[in-house]
Formats: sequence, structure tokens, C-alpha cells
Amino acid sequence: MSGSASGRADDTRLFKYGLIAPATFVMVLVAVFPLIYLIVVSFQRISLSDDITSFSGLVNYARIFSDARLWDAVLHTLLITVIALPIELVLGMLLGYHFLPDRPFKRLLVALLIIPSVISPMVAGSMWRLMFDDRYGPINQIISWFAGERISILWTINIAWAYPAIIITDVWQWTPFMFIILMAALANVDQELLDAAAIDGASGWRTFLEVTLPAIRPVMMIALLIRGLDLIRLFDSVWQLTRGGPGSATETISIYAYIRGFQEFDTSYIAAVVVVLAILFSVGLVVVLKRMAIAR
Amino acid sequence: MSAVAPHRRLRKTGWYIASAAIVVAFLFPVYWIFAVSLKTPREIFKFPPAWYPATPQFNNFLVLFRDGDVWSIWNSFVLASTSTVVAMILGIMCAYSIVRFKTGGENLAIWIISQRLLPPIAIVFPIFLIYSKLGLTDTYQGLILLYTAFALPYVIWLMRGYIQEVPMALEESALVDGASRWQILWFVVIPVTRNGIFATAVFAFIFSWNEFLFALVLTRTEVITFPVQVSQYFGAQSTFWAKISAMSVLGTLPIFFAVAAFQRYLVRGITLGAVKG
Amino acid sequence: MRAMTLMSAVGGALLLAAQPALSEENAAEKAVDAAKQYSGITLNSAEEAGLMAMLGINITGPEWKELTGIGLNVTEIPFEELFPKQMLEHKAGSGAYDIMTIGPSWVADMVRNGALEPLDPFIEKYGVASEFDDIAPAFKDWMTYDGKTYALVVDGDVHLLYYRKDIFEDPENMEAFKAEYGYDLAPPQTWEQFGQICKFITDKYAPELYGAGLINTGYMHFFFSERLRTYGGKFFDPETMKATVNSQEAIDALTDMVDQLDCQPPGVQTWGFGESLSALSAGEIAMTISWPPIARWAQGINADEQALSWVPESTVVDKIGYALPPGGHPELASGIMLAVSPDSKNKDAAYLYIQWLHSKQESLKNVMRPLGLRDAFRISHYEAPEYQALWPTAPDYLATLRQAGEQGYSDLAILETYKYWDSMGRAVVAAIGGKDPKEALDDLAAEWDGLTEQIGVDRQKEAYLEWAQKPSAYRE
Repeated sequence: MSGSASGRADDTRLFKYGLIAPATFVMVLVAVFPLIYLIVVSFQRISLSDDITSFSGLVNYARIFSDARLWDAVLHTLLITVIALPIELVLGMLLGYHFLPDRPFKRLLVALLIIPSVISPMVAGSMWRLMFDDRYGPINQIISWFAGERISILWTINIAWAYPAIIITDVWQWTPFMFIILMAALANVDQELLDAAAIDGASGWRTFLEVTLPAIRPVMMIALLIRGLDLIRLFDSVWQLTRGGPGSATETISIYAYIRGFQEFDTSYIAAVVVVLAILFSVGLVVVLKRMAIAR
Repeated sequence: MSAVAPHRRLRKTGWYIASAAIVVAFLFPVYWIFAVSLKTPREIFKFPPAWYPATPQFNNFLVLFRDGDVWSIWNSFVLASTSTVVAMILGIMCAYSIVRFKTGGENLAIWIISQRLLPPIAIVFPIFLIYSKLGLTDTYQGLILLYTAFALPYVIWLMRGYIQEVPMALEESALVDGASRWQILWFVVIPVTRNGIFATAVFAFIFSWNEFLFALVLTRTEVITFPVQVSQYFGAQSTFWAKISAMSVLGTLPIFFAVAAFQRYLVRGITLGAVKG
Repeated sequence: MRAMTLMSAVGGALLLAAQPALSEENAAEKAVDAAKQYSGITLNSAEEAGLMAMLGINITGPEWKELTGIGLNVTEIPFEELFPKQMLEHKAGSGAYDIMTIGPSWVADMVRNGALEPLDPFIEKYGVASEFDDIAPAFKDWMTYDGKTYALVVDGDVHLLYYRKDIFEDPENMEAFKAEYGYDLAPPQTWEQFGQICKFITDKYAPELYGAGLINTGYMHFFFSERLRTYGGKFFDPETMKATVNSQEAIDALTDMVDQLDCQPPGVQTWGFGESLSALSAGEIAMTISWPPIARWAQGINADEQALSWVPESTVVDKIGYALPPGGHPELASGIMLAVSPDSKNKDAAYLYIQWLHSKQESLKNVMRPLGLRDAFRISHYEAPEYQALWPTAPDYLATLRQAGEQGYSDLAILETYKYWDSMGRAVVAAIGGKDPKEALDDLAAEWDGLTEQIGVDRQKEAYLEWAQKPSAYRE
């Protein structure tokens, strides 16, 4: 019982691995195992009409490159990402600056402002579908009021307006998220450096570029990364707003895969699509992470 | 000197006006869905729409109770709370091991956080096929396993930060007093990180509560969650705004309470601990 | 010995008591009697979200419970997801739904995947032959596949044109219209006339009243299939199986459909079934084309029923006329049948509930209600005195409905039809959303060709030719 040193080390080893084992097991079960199964399925031929589980070679992969609807979906997703992300960043930054000074009730105001980001994205999509509704929603009413005549913008139907609708919804929901992170980062910027810049007579813009930005950059990058990843997998809110329509004009990658996989039962083909996209996504992610590390 | 004071007061007033305007703008959609949930169905179909319910009434909510739709809220609650509790227990254990014993080194930590980067659409297909074979679709167990796994990386990551802040001296003195490692974890570390645990749990709960894609694919009748229930009110036949708004309100209120109770921990929870708040 | 005699005596008495029932069998009573042995269980039923499901939730479910002790738990699923969700359920094999809601064009796919339980053994056991003979031929055709019965129809759908008689029969309007267009103002016979009448009324009354307010979101494949065929278009070339949905006829059909939005209320592009019904009831539009329940809603039948507040109170009671849509061959758009899941653990009880709903006695009650959106599908419905007397123009309505059923176009039913439909629906909505109709249809044809190739050209051709030889396919 008083035990040798090695016995004690064994105990510790058992203890430390025993602690991580259950959590790791659950994560492997839910992430790694399905991914392997996904690859298996992608080489089979399972669809509504066929149920061939023997190895079928690359038939599914061969179809991917000529699938225009898929690559459109990839483009739609990237389009939404490259527009929504900068808007959220800039608005978040402006709000962060606005709410930087400590004033009475600031905490309450900030807590209220965070509400959009904690609401279910699916509910957010439903809310905005209602907001944009031509008859029952207030947006067109407000626009009409400013315009002085009845304006009826078909936000979720018209190809030209469906993207603004999606982007507005995303910006509404996630700008507060950006804002909270950036405000915390801004508050952590060394006040002495800012004071020094002010004494040197640097303009506000220059101070921002040369002092503030480098200081908040790491946190900002993490925020951009989290949001960027969320946008790439965008599903819930778009599903509620347009279900990928009109036609397939606003199908994101996730919506495309859901419709093709679960509504059209092209199971094996979609498995192949997801495998290819997951590889592209991982490569892209590694590149981004590398660049972030260098930028740091 | 006397000229500065009114100027400053003016600025301050301006700041509050601007802040209020921002908050109102961001909360307007939330107000709208609450307002619609209190309108009569007839008022909902009014054109142009009414800006507030003429006589607020709760009939839209009563319909949800009468038709049994509110079970979806209960299902969401069971799923989110169970998976949160399980994820917290497993996650705290794992985080403690990583912090105190550097178990798995950097690689394990990175692998864990990379779990959060995995796009859900990539695993929803195989999960569905596997669950179908195992009879796990439309069961609590099936979704609890998933939600626990999704919450774990987040819980581990955040708890890692909180546990790192626990003074080593505290644990060492307990060791000297003859406490086992296990006892230290439960009787020293967990009480000290209590606040962090609550905050983390609230966020884990919110994630599970809001999850839509997996619930959409894996539920049928027994464990339909509230987001899936709401999505079913949208259809080609019509869009049932009375039910949509009432159910959205019911599904959002718990989140409001959670945020109100834990607003102090918001920043840290949201940023995965990247910023200490 | 004594006990034996007693038992045979009782048995004899029971037989005697059953005698009159045998001579005049009633499928509803038979279903209820047989179902009582399952008292205490709960059936899960998948139904179309909305008014369709409200019937089961609010009326028939509680009634069935009271009669048999069997509970009914309704899961609401939007129309577009009914097929995939129920198919997925079957693939998962959880037996989550005992009762399935299906449309006629899904039957083939579902049967081929073993997702429907053949009902013939149940019909033999519990059914009443005379009640099957009463089903209108157009709808009876739906229930069988390869000689077996897989579902019972509970709702006979067909599109009708609803128009405001007061506007159409106003002497001033009639005179002005005749002067401008050279023919009498009446329900349009062609789509060209539809456009002219719509414009005429809109020009005169807008914004209080518009000429028409059609459905433009959801179910669009039904509306376009009808127009396409009315314009003389076809779905496929029967030789090559190449899609012909981008033919000149098709382009004309879609172009007119988009152009005719101009005479309809602003925002009509977002209208679904509910919006169009609301607008008609509120007196905001003079014509619409929709499903049969519209007539009962607009007439305010049973206006005290629960959940009726779903649409505005009708301001057009006694003002609505009924006609066949332009072209005279309305789409027999879907219609609802109920089926039993092969994964169900309570197949008998599930079947009995369906038989009860389908029976002469119960179905008549349901097709007279607005709630539930069930429509006449039996000869006895068209002829029922109580239905004829429900409101002054009910006989007109029932006669038009019967004629529509006899002359209507069947929905396309080939292999994996729903994929073609989904594709068509997206193309039409894209054109309504601003895409060039020709481009939308070219894309559609390319998608259809891709689908046909994947399914197998020869297999699909066989299925198509079998469908196309039905008289209701093209009505030539």
C-alpha cells in the first residue's frame, strides 16, 4: 500500500488516461467512425432504386465534376460568406467601439444586444421570413413608408432579393457575436500604447491601424474563423427563408446535400460529394490556419 | 470649465440615444415575433400588418398545448439537459487530465478542438444510416449521444481554461492532506471552478437546444424537438404564423432566462475562452 | 351439457342479430366493431401539416378514440416532405408511423421499395364490396398497383376555377367587356381569355379588387403540368424519352403564366394555397384556381368550427361561381390516400381506422367540412341530398366537381416521379422569381434527361408509355 514509486506512477497513468477515455470514446464514436462509414458508402451504389452495397468503383465520384447544381451551391455558399463576413466584422467593430466606454446600464444594453446570437438560427430564419413577408411582415411596410408608395419586394421569392434577405438575416444574428468578441479584445488593448500614440499626435485611424489592430488581431482572427466556418456550413436560417429557392438559386452546400441526400435519396452519390467537399474544406482550412499563424 | 460639463452631458445623452436605437433595431424582429404570437389569427392576416396586438391573447399558445405540440419543448429539454450533464461530467474529467497531466500533449488538445470544425453535413449521412440499422432514430439515446459528442470539444476547451486558473497550491495542500487525485477533482477543483462550470453548461445547453439539422433528420414522432416542430409549420399549403410565432416564443424564452442569469460569462462562453471575460 | 346448449343458443342469437347487418353492411360500423379489440393502443399517423391534419387532431381522432378506445397521435409533415420523410422512416424501419399519407404518383416508388403494406387481406377480412364500387373511377384508379390495393382514398382532389359571379354578371361589366374583346364575359375557356378577363377586372377595380390571384408557391408542378398539357405540350418524346418540357408549347405556357402575374395583386408571387383562399374570402380577387375545399370555405360552411379563424371571415358568401379552369381539363392534383406502414406493429388497427375514414358514412361527413380539406371522391358524395342542400349553389359545385373528375388530367406517374416534380417546381418558381422562362425550361429539360438516364432510359420509357396510354394523360 505504501507502494513503490512505479506503482504510484502506474496509478497516475491509469487515472489520467481513465479521465480522458470516456470523452474521447464518445467523440471517436460520433466523428471518426461515421466518416469511415461515409467513405465506404461513397463507393457503393445506394439510392432509391438501387441498393448495391458491393464495391462500385468511382461511379459516384465521376459524376461530381459535371454536377452543375453542386458547384453552384459551392459558389452560393462562398458568395454569402465573402459578403456577410466583412459586414459582420465592420459592424461588430463599430459597435465594439461604441460600447467600449464604461457607462451605467452598459452591461444591460450589451446583454440585450447579444440576444440574436443565442436564439436558435432556425427561429431566426423563421423570424426574418415573417419580417420579409410581403403582406404580414413589417419590412416592406417600412420601406413603403419611406418611399411614400406601396413597395412590394418579394424578398424570399425574387432571385435578386433572396441573397440580401439571407445576408441581412445572418448579419442580424451574428454581428452581436462579432461585437462581443471585439469589444472584449478592444478593452484589452494596452491603454499606455494608445495614450502614447495620442501624445505623438497620431490620427485616430493611424492609431487604429498601428496600435489597436495588431493588438486585437489574434482574437479577431479567431472570431473570423469561427464565423467563417459557420457560414460554410450554413443551413438552418436559409432553410427557413428560402429552402434553397427560388429554383435552386440559394442552395448552400448543406442545403444541396440535404435535399439530394434526404429528399432524393441519392445516398451514395452524396456520400461521395461530401467526401470530396470535406477534403477540399480541410485543405482550405489548413491553408487558412497556416496563413493565420504567419500573420500572427 | 463650465463650458465642458454641458458638452460632456450632451455626448453622454447622445451615447444613450444611439445605444438605445441600436438595441431597438436589433431586437425589433424578436419583438415582432412576440407581438404576432399574441395576435388573433385574424389580426395576423391583416393587411397592412398591425404593429402591436390590439387585444393580446394567449390562444395561439393554448392551441399548442391542446394539440400536444408543446411536447417538442419537453423533448428539447430532456435532450439538451441530459446531454449537457453527461458532456459536463466527461468534459471536466478530460479537461482536468489534460491540464494537470498534459495527457496527450498538444496533439490531443488540437484534435479535440478540431472536432468543432467538422461540418455537420459530413456526418449526418453516415449517422443516419448507422442509426437506422441500430434502431436509434427517433430515440432519446441516439440524439443524446450526438449532442454530448458535439458539446464535448466545447466543454473541454472552456473547462481547460477555467481549470488552468485553479492555483496549484490548493491542490498540493490537499495532496499533502492525503486526498486522492479523484477526491481532489471532485472536492477541490470542481467547487473552485463552480462559476465556470455553470457558464459552460449554459452554453452547452443552448447549443443542443438550438440544434436543427440532426433533429430534422433523426426524429419522427417520439422525440421531435422544438426547432423541427417549428419547421413543420411551413408548408406549401400555407405558413402557419400563429403556431410558428407561439412555438418560437416558447422555444426562445428559456434561452432568454439563461442569458439573463449568466450574462457575466457571455463573452468567454461565446469566444471559446479566446478572450477572458 | 347445459353449458353447451346455452352457448350454442347464445351463438345462434348472435348470428341472428348479425343477419340484418350482413344484408346492409356498413364499412364504418364494421371497422369500429373490429377495432374495439385493440382498445388502449395509440396509432401514429403521418399527415400533411395544416388543415389536413387538423381533421385528425380535432375531429376524427377524438371520435375514433371514443368509439373504439384507440388513440390517434398525428405528426404533421409539410407536403414536400411527406414522401421523403415516410420513405426515410421505412428505410430506418422504426415503425414510427402506422398510418401513412400518400399521393397517387408515389405509389409505384413506394411499392417497389416495399414501403406500403398490401391491403387486400384486410379488405377481405373487414371490407364492404359495395362501398368500393361507389368510388369515382378517376380516384379508384389511384389505389391499386399491379393488381393489388395499397391505399384507400380519403380525399378526391381536382382543380376548379372559382370566380365572383357578382362581378362577372354585372351588366355594366358585361357590356364593357363585350365591347372591348368581342365575346361574352364568362368563366374563361382558354388561358388567353383568362389573361384578358383578369386584366379587364384589374384595370377597373384595382387596388380594391384584382382580376385573379393564383397560387404561385408550393405545388407548382401541378399547376404547370396542367398548363403545359392545356397548351398541347407533352412531358416526353415517346420514342427517345427525351424531355419535351422545353418545347415551344411549354415555353408559351410558362411565359403566359409569368406575364399574367401583372394583372394579379402585388406580391402574388409569394402566395400559396392559404393566401389565395384568404384573398378570395376577403373579396380581394375575382378568380382563382385551387382545390375543392375553397368553395366550402368561401361559403363559410360550419363557420363555427374550431380553427376556422385560420382564414378571414368570408365576405363573398353566395357570390362564388364554379367552373372548369381554362382548357377544361383540370389537374387531378394529388388527392390524398391513406396507407398502412409495413413496419407498423398495429396493422389491423391502422387499416381499420383508414377503412372507417374511407367509408361511405364517415367520408361524407368529412368531405362536407371545410376543415380537413377532404373532398368528394364517391358517386354517393356527388349525389348526397344533404350535401346538395348545404348551400344554394352546392348542386352546381358538385356537378362541376364531378365533371372535373371525369375530364381531368392525371398527375404524371412514372418511376421516381417526385424527382421530376421537384425539378419542375423549382424551374417554375425560378421563372416566377425572374428567371427567363426559356432558360428555366431548358435547365429543367436537361435535369429531366439526367434523371431519366440515371434511372435507366428503357425502364423509364416503359413506365411512361404505360402512363401515357391512359385517356386522362393527355385527353386527346
